[in-house]
Amino acid sequence: MTKHITGTREKWLAARLELLKAEKELTRRSDELARLRQELPWVRIEKQYRFETDEGSAMLADLFRGRSQLLVYHFMFGPDYKAGCATCSTIADGFNGFAIHLANHDVMLWAVSLAPLAKLQAYKRRMGWTFPWASSLDNDFNFDFNVSVTEEQQREGDVEYNYQRGGHALEATEVPEPVAQNAAMAGTDVATYTRERPGMSAFVLEDGVIYHTYSTYARGLDGLWGMYQWLDRAPMGRNEREGVWWLRHDEYGKR
Amino acid sequence: MTKTELKNHKIVSANEWFEARRQLLTQEKEFTRLRDQLSQKRRELPWARVERNYVFNEPDGKMSLAELFEGRSQLVVYHFMFAPDWERPCRSCSFWTDSFNAVVTHLNHRDVTFVAISRAPSEKLEAFKRRMGWNFKWLSSGNNEFNYDYNVSFTPEALKGGAEYNYGKLADFAQQNDLSETDVSDLPGVSVFYKDSGGNIYHTYSAYARGIDILNTAYNYLDLVPKGRDEAELEWPMAWVRFHDEYNE
Repeated sequence: MTKHITGTREKWLAARLELLKAEKELTRRSDELARLRQELPWVRIEKQYRFETDEGSAMLADLFRGRSQLLVYHFMFGPDYKAGCATCSTIADGFNGFAIHLANHDVMLWAVSLAPLAKLQAYKRRMGWTFPWASSLDNDFNFDFNVSVTEEQQREGDVEYNYQRGGHALEATEVPEPVAQNAAMAGTDVATYTRERPGMSAFVLEDGVIYHTYSTYARGLDGLWGMYQWLDRAPMGRNEREGVWWLRHDEYGKR
Repeated sequence: MTKTELKNHKIVSANEWFEARRQLLTQEKEFTRLRDQLSQKRRELPWARVERNYVFNEPDGKMSLAELFEGRSQLVVYHFMFAPDWERPCRSCSFWTDSFNAVVTHLNHRDVTFVAISRAPSEKLEAFKRRMGWNFKWLSSGNNEFNYDYNVSFTPEALKGGAEYNYGKLADFAQQNDLSETDVSDLPGVSVFYKDSGGNIYHTYSAYARGIDILNTAYNYLDLVPKGRDEAELEWPMAWVRFHDEYNE
């Protein structure tokens, strides 16, 4: 029998109406944040970034594919990973389904990772995904947008992530369990795993010039991770006392 | 696809941008904390016991509400708008569906069963699901009161007699959204249920209208780009949305 407070439909409704007010307030705040993001100034991209894609070499401007806006998911997949980050993979499961809607609303969505293209292609086939995925192995893109760090930076603690230096779980000296679990799932050690970081960056192309408009990292990605918004509405919530519970979608039932 | 224009936006140095971005980050973090708090409040809602025994149709037979849990303790229902006499379901619901279809397998591994329910007969649901390449369970409530009890379908009498949607008057919702009475026979929503070890089922939560906005992950992505949702110029907000196999490219 449940220990949760139960009651009549009338009692539930009274509590639900109170909650509704708070939910509406949060929705308004979310709209306001979106407006503030749109008001952020832009920074002109001066560097010429060349990526490897399924269609061959491509410049950053090519990734827009005729759209005026570009979203890049910084998918953690370093050159020495055996497989793409399992956590990023659950995020990708979500956007793989709706990237086509964005593409028809003037937003081209790409994933970009440091691993060589052949690795990305093999993993994408395994996962059955269709979104475009580029390798930034031969350019500074990942380093410029603070989602890859060099071994030297890592050694010296000279790392900026989520708009601050140091202090993030990915840099902790005592490795948090979820980071160790994720490293193991990527078939790599913690140091190698944490040289990549997750993020999302937005760009706009106007009159042939590319501007960086926005980037978000860490829990800024929380709302972009479909499964969490659903779990936030379930009675037990995210229910994560045991740490990382998810696997890649083809790994459930295998262990 | 028509493109809106963004002209004369402020361009700055990387350092200036960094300062502006850090300020926004403070507000974003505050929002994340508020969202976590709200999720906690949601879990503190009392639960109302479900007294009715609903039986749903699927192509191979029937399933009761209790059976829908499939051994898990939590059930999320997406109220997918598809009335019995419609040839195709709601396009906007299909947009939502494209964002949750692949997430269901992960939810299943956190003790959450996820189903979609519509009034249309299960053959219609199954055919459309095949066409879209979706793989979640989609059941018909065409023979029961489920949709009416959870305020996502409305009889003609209810439409005239003060039906409720999103915890307010349906007539007010219709007016605010410029919808006629015939447009609102079915509306979107999400309902959540819990089954305890004794087999009792409780209704824990329902959300409607913009309450399910955040569950369309694509909108959270659009909220990051320079043009945002970019729907202000359209005849109605989701006028740009098509079934995913009906876009021109």
